[in-house]
Amino acid sequence: MKPLERYWFGDVALARPYLVLRFVLALLAFDTWLNMIPQGAKYGVGAFNVAHFPWFGSFVPSASFYLGVLAFTGVLALSQALYRPHRIAIVLVAAGYTLGWTCSLLDSVPYHYLLSLYLVCFVFFPMLSARAAFSRSDQAPRGSVWAYVLFCVTTAIVYFYVAAWSASEGEPYWLPMLCCVGYLVASMQDRVELPALRMAAPFLVAAPVVFHLSASQQGWLPIYMIGIAAIVFAPVQWIHGLGRALTQPGRNLVEERTEGSGIDERASQVFYLSLLGLVVAPMISMFIDLPGVKTGCTLTAIAMLLVMGRQLYFTPRWRPLWRVASLFGGCLALWVTMAASNARFDYYHEGALDAHRRGDHDTAMMLREKADRYAP
Amino acid sequence: MASSETEPPPPHPSAKARRRSSAFIAAFVLLQFLIPLTYLTREDASDERFTWRSLTVSDAPSCETSASLERFDGQREDIPLKKLIHRDWLDYMQQDRRAVVDAFLRKQCEPDDVLQVELVNRCDDGRGTRAYNLRCGGERSHATARTATR
Repeated sequence: MKPLERYWFGDVALARPYLVLRFVLALLAFDTWLNMIPQGAKYGVGAFNVAHFPWFGSFVPSASFYLGVLAFTGVLALSQALYRPHRIAIVLVAAGYTLGWTCSLLDSVPYHYLLSLYLVCFVFFPMLSARAAFSRSDQAPRGSVWAYVLFCVTTAIVYFYVAAWSASEGEPYWLPMLCCVGYLVASMQDRVELPALRMAAPFLVAAPVVFHLSASQQGWLPIYMIGIAAIVFAPVQWIHGLGRALTQPGRNLVEERTEGSGIDERASQVFYLSLLGLVVAPMISMFIDLPGVKTGCTLTAIAMLLVMGRQLYFTPRWRPLWRVASLFGGCLALWVTMAASNARFDYYHEGALDAHRRGDHDTAMMLREKADRYAP
Repeated sequence: MASSETEPPPPHPSAKARRRSSAFIAAFVLLQFLIPLTYLTREDASDERFTWRSLTVSDAPSCETSASLERFDGQREDIPLKKLIHRDWLDYMQQDRRAVVDAFLRKQCEPDDVLQVELVNRCDDGRGTRAYNLRCGGERSHATARTATR
């Protein structure tokens, strides 16, 4: 291989793509529910909208459309983080999330664009099971994962531009530039032929941590970037040990289930249980009381059916049930998150304030009643 | 029972797969380098989307925005901005986001009897007063002009 090919296709500890994919998907789910849903009342007001890209034309996203897209994206993302992800599901998460922010300039948070870029990288990640990433107890499994290297390079490019624009304005740029170099170096640290990098990379984690803690940044960007840095820069033994500890309960459960010898005879039961689960899971959204969320959760169940496809009929038999369980987990997490947070109150409260400001007193009163119901 | 020790890591990509992946990588990385550079050619300097110019929270400018329209019969009317659109769109207009200003003016031109629409931003900072005019009719989508002085 040529040097450039060696950079992109060299070995990576599989624990890193496994953990970074799940970390970002899980965080993205709660980010959409806790930070984006409260902003939903802005959408469709006065039938006025400007999208990020002209191909949306005169489309005006309503609050229920926006919330539906967020519910769909969040539930599907969390379900993929909970159980072995599926490439079609990641494509749908990427499409849903990108649609969510591109449909209006009301969402101009810079890191939402970055997350869309990450999701594009995730589409090409290997869809690893916990057993593939962590099963060998003596040494961490490695493999060629070019999409993970692309993920690191994408992050490096962001820091490069932050540094470049800072330099052009005469501001200090060494810290973001160090982050940029750090990501380019850390993406190679698992290669056996580069032991020096393995020694140096973990110390470079200080650069992104300091960078994101030293300035007030939008939304959950610091949480994403510090978490990602911890996974990318940490020594392989640490990340392998962490991954093994986190996935131990899940691996035990799956291994116990596969021990049974009568699984084939139970295939039809699994099939009907899976179908029943797909119908029942989105019903949890009936308790959430936000416009569009029921539709979003129903679409997630349909997407899950698409993802499972032939798995419903063919081996391994338990996989459809785990997928349905992950969908249940996603819907349940959405409900608990809405019930335990101020997101619903903020949504209705902001909507009521805006309607009052615009002189729409009937809508304001209706929204205020809802807000009072969910007041902290 | 499937042994937990035997599940293999993903195979190394073949030469053909490497070529295909390399083409995608090249295009994806090139796009990421080029998109932020489009800022240098943007007419609207306040539009910093996709550029990574700032990851920090910026303060909204302190400006007062007003709008008015003129009908074909010569009658002038003030447009009640705060009653028509969400406050966030108003913030965008105060920041001189041309895409939003143009879209708003075009929307006010939708009734048949409107001749032209004007939006004025009066800011406390060094930018002073800026006015945007759109003459409705055939050229409505292209005719937004910046007529203000700094």
